[in-house]
Amino acid sequence: MSRLPLDERIPYAALVAGLAVLTLALGLASVAIGYVPFDLGAAFGDLLGGRATLPALVLAELRIPRAALGLLVGFSLGLTGAAMQGWLRNPLAEPGLVGVSSAAALGAVVVFYSGLSATVALALPLGGMAGAAAAALLLNVMAARGAGTTTLVIGGIAINSLAGSLTALALNLAPNPYAALEIVFWLMGSLADRSTDQLWLVLPPMLAGWALTLSGARALDALTLGEDTARSLGFNLAALRVRLIAGAALAVGSAVSVTGAVGFVGLVGPHLLRPLVGARPGRLLPVSGLAGASLTLAADIAVRLLPTRPELKLGVVTALIGAPFLIALIWRLRREEP
Amino acid sequence: MRRWLLRILAVLPLAGGAALAGDAPAKTQRIASLNLCADELLLRLVEPQRIASVTWLARDPRGSNVAALAAAVPVNRGLAEEIVPQRPDLVVAGKYTTRTTVGLLKRLDIPLLELDVPQTVEAVAEQIRQLAHAVGEPERGEALIAGMTARLDALDALDALAQGQRPTAVVLRPNGFVAGSGSLVDTILTRAGLDNLADRLPLGSQGALPLEAIILGGAERLIVDAAPDAPPSLAHAVLHHPAVAALATRVRVVSLPSRLWTCAGPQIAEAAELLAVGREAAP
Repeated sequence: MSRLPLDERIPYAALVAGLAVLTLALGLASVAIGYVPFDLGAAFGDLLGGRATLPALVLAELRIPRAALGLLVGFSLGLTGAAMQGWLRNPLAEPGLVGVSSAAALGAVVVFYSGLSATVALALPLGGMAGAAAAALLLNVMAARGAGTTTLVIGGIAINSLAGSLTALALNLAPNPYAALEIVFWLMGSLADRSTDQLWLVLPPMLAGWALTLSGARALDALTLGEDTARSLGFNLAALRVRLIAGAALAVGSAVSVTGAVGFVGLVGPHLLRPLVGARPGRLLPVSGLAGASLTLAADIAVRLLPTRPELKLGVVTALIGAPFLIALIWRLRREEP
Repeated sequence: MRRWLLRILAVLPLAGGAALAGDAPAKTQRIASLNLCADELLLRLVEPQRIASVTWLARDPRGSNVAALAAAVPVNRGLAEEIVPQRPDLVVAGKYTTRTTVGLLKRLDIPLLELDVPQTVEAVAEQIRQLAHAVGEPERGEALIAGMTARLDALDALDALAQGQRPTAVVLRPNGFVAGSGSLVDTILTRAGLDNLADRLPLGSQGALPLEAIILGGAERLIVDAAPDAPPSLAHAVLHHPAVAALATRVRVVSLPSRLWTCAGPQIAEAAELLAVGREAAP
């Protein structure tokens, strides 16, 4: 009996459908599993029947926005991770590792604590997008000079430390005495007590970012054959870069501006799924988004089930999964390219 | 002989002065404070000329009840290197704050008074009395206590009229902190005729709670520890969460400036009065 490659054993459509079902199931579980047990069916009934009971209020204003944001943020990070890995042709490219997330956090912090977002709500995602775009452009400059894995990782460390320390500086300069302690939220991320306002604020830019990134799928496939071949096939690589940078800025920038920087989500999903899609970056994009959404939702369920008080930040759980994964990945890369 | 006489004459006024000063208890002349709560009591008890410094927090009207008084007094940031050169006769510190500075001041034998965090009205009165005695202003201390007690007693009379009708209440503070039994906030709630629900909340009564646990607790009054003009922070954003706004259509939400009950002092009477108004059903 001959063994088929993984991508031929599982049809792509079935993979997408399976991951979509998993993501939706985790989304529902996230709504059902809160801090306090309550009758979900009755709450849904009250909500649909227009009865303003406490469970209906908690469901509409706390649990649903939290689960929805978990799904959207996870999808954004997973999708962007897969796109960056294809674009930079580098397995370690991930919004958190290369500094896009922490730069987005810096942008959001400056806008939030200066009071700008209190007058203009849209300023918050815009601040996150500006930070993410700056980091992505910097990466683009590095990649243009033919960055290897080492250069990219060192560049990521540099952007991360710079953005992290500027975030700390901005928080210490902020006039509110609570601000300095809130660096944990911005660097580790959390979905605790997020709101519908934030959901509606970041949904449009996220969807736009997804569309831009997904529109680069075929060009990313062509890019695996090398830049010259991709160009000869008629793909405009400069336009692809613009699309991916804008997509990353829109999706990751707005995600980080409401949940802080959640790490490793864009690393784990794409690597687990790459063998299942025949190493085609274009086909990897949507499934990585779904995997990122599942991972984020599962991690957010975990922080609520773990008996820690105050609860763990979301990024702690994703790092507990992602960091060993990264170490294993570096180990494998070392063997492949000595 | 004449020289001797002159010397004796020169010394006499000093001796006389000392004898006069002995009639009243000697007052400390240079007092420094290392804690906002101590700042507030000190500024209420002692004229500004006798205060070497208070903390910089005392000048912030959002957190301090005595910002106007503090404007006339030098400020410190709780560092020993600021306090020691001021050569204070007395340093007032909080029992749980600026521990490094307090440790150093002790080693330098600088007179120190450490204030505990009172949890009952009696303990608040006792603390005012203790500080007033230490700074030589017992009458002003008693006047503060009498004013506070009279206002709180007036509330007890109101409570008697309500015939044991005590609505349940829960306090929402920045970061989702609640105030459980045994705290000064709990004492003030009780004096205002409210029944603190914190101990019966699903996830316990101390520390930061998720909004879900606070809302599902089902209190009849939500007391929000508000600072409407505070600069932005995630901690304060919890207080303006849409879920809290939605709750306001169902239960009465009472907004209370945090400076009124952050520290033990006569201002807790004002906090209790505001809460007693909020105890009544929605206006």
